[in-house]
Amino acid sequence: MTQRTIQVDALARVEGEGALYLKVQDDQVLEVRLDIYEPPRFFEGFLRGRHYEEVPDITARICGICPVAYQMSSARALEKALGLQATPAVRQLRHLLYCAEWIESHVLHIYLLQAPDLTGHESALELARVAPDIVQRGLRMKRIGNHILTVLGGRSVHPVNPTVGGFYRWPDETAIRDLVPDLTWGLEAARETVRWAAELPYPHLEIDYEFVALHHPQEYGILEGVIRSSVAGDLSEEDFETRYLEYHVPHSNALHSRTVDGNHYMVGPLARFNLNFEQLHPAARQIAEEVGFVPPIHNPYKALLARAVETVHAYAVALEIAQTWHPQGPSKPEIHPRAGEGAAGTEAPRGLLYHRYRLDAQGLVQEARLVPPTAQNLARMEDDLRLLAPHILDLPLEEATLRCEHLVRAYDPCISCATHFLRLEVERT
Amino acid sequence: MTIVVCGLGQPLRGDDAAGLEAVRLWQQRYPAQARHPAVRVHLLEAPELALLDALQGARAALLVDAAQAQAPAGSVHCLTAERLPSFTAGTTSAHGWSPAETIALARTLGRPLPPRLDILAIVAADFSPSPSLSLAVRDALPQAAEAIHRWVAQRLSEL
Repeated sequence: MTQRTIQVDALARVEGEGALYLKVQDDQVLEVRLDIYEPPRFFEGFLRGRHYEEVPDITARICGICPVAYQMSSARALEKALGLQATPAVRQLRHLLYCAEWIESHVLHIYLLQAPDLTGHESALELARVAPDIVQRGLRMKRIGNHILTVLGGRSVHPVNPTVGGFYRWPDETAIRDLVPDLTWGLEAARETVRWAAELPYPHLEIDYEFVALHHPQEYGILEGVIRSSVAGDLSEEDFETRYLEYHVPHSNALHSRTVDGNHYMVGPLARFNLNFEQLHPAARQIAEEVGFVPPIHNPYKALLARAVETVHAYAVALEIAQTWHPQGPSKPEIHPRAGEGAAGTEAPRGLLYHRYRLDAQGLVQEARLVPPTAQNLARMEDDLRLLAPHILDLPLEEATLRCEHLVRAYDPCISCATHFLRLEVERT
Repeated sequence: MTIVVCGLGQPLRGDDAAGLEAVRLWQQRYPAQARHPAVRVHLLEAPELALLDALQGARAALLVDAAQAQAPAGSVHCLTAERLPSFTAGTTSAHGWSPAETIALARTLGRPLPPRLDILAIVAADFSPSPSLSLAVRDALPQAAEAIHRWVAQRLSEL
């Protein structure tokens, strides 16, 4: 009997700090652990006692990559608690803001984080040396996303303009219209990204997932919808916690998730793509069909291609909004605090982000519940590594380690959101 | 000619905010210099690739940032950008994109960078989540602000 140990002290190109431990005996995987040692940040705790109006600005601080998702989930949940409904002009602007976050987050992951794995390059720097034009395209696409965030949100990271009920002030309509040329270029660049991504050599791995995502009958679910499962059907946002349960595991400072039936499910681009293909913008559906990328897709590495298709969607939707939006009425309503409870989900770039708040009559938070996408995916990632392990046991140690890292990176995990590098340790006996 | 001063850091990660706070202190103590028409100031909490936008068109740039180093906490070091790779390990930047990697990517792609790019590094004691700086780093801020003042004065004298 032989024993081998693989250890990576910090997995690069993910957000946050964690480690991977894999223990194998002969052909049997004995143990897989994603050790999330990033310190917990207790956001749910220190939101208690805060005024509802502070919540979107506080939750935005959970993540520098997807602050809009935290602002939108919190704003919508609080609006439900306060009995408010966003106006069409607010909803449209939120949709544009969210598309901008998808663009900057998806493009960062496609070009700089996951593509080097698939093209056999150690890093994006190496990819940039051999394919500078490709990386330049990615940088320009991402910059457009950041610019929209600045125009609408006041700055590109942790926007300050969104609030409960709407926006502190309407953005300048001319500045929105000025986005059109960049978005027109970006839409074509996003199509080219799909064509390029379709030719990348994806490792073969098919996994029978339970996919979970927001579903909206009239549009690709981002801002609202029902919680759809590929196994269990639909649930309202209010009923999320009756089926999707968080639990603690000793090796992780982030909670894991499972369904009430004990299934480890997947959220994120692949889940959305499989559940909501028909609701994609026609431009995104058309390019996906052109490259033969249609559901069902069960290869976790192809989340990159799903992100690329979603980037086309985001550019196309953003372009339509930028061409037509104009302010109507006040940018936010007058709000009278009341006791109440509200739950809402929105689709962060990495998947479903659920928030629930209970307010007292003064509008102070009595209870807060935040379920981020990466935390929901952690148990699923461990299962995937367990399924991958038999395929890599005969590989040289270094290559086996890299294959594990690639799989984790395909999820674009944001460990910071879930709690915050990754060490990989594989023990073979 | 534009002179750029960039404070980098996360205000909720303890001493990681050292760069932001040092630039703010310099702005308070030397408002005329900080508002000089040739000087552009950026406070960037999660700069990643957006750092390239902040540096665009600059003739000289100073990045003020917290650092992990084998040196006493609170010590202040002025370095050239060529020393940046030594500041990549243990990054807490978004998805591993530290300023060093961003600068390296720009160089690889042949994108224009300021002909003079310097780093003012303030050695940190503690990056744990916290809105406060450690005592050692807080005490170092006046020295860092003076160093920014001297650097900007030198660049302005070269105009």
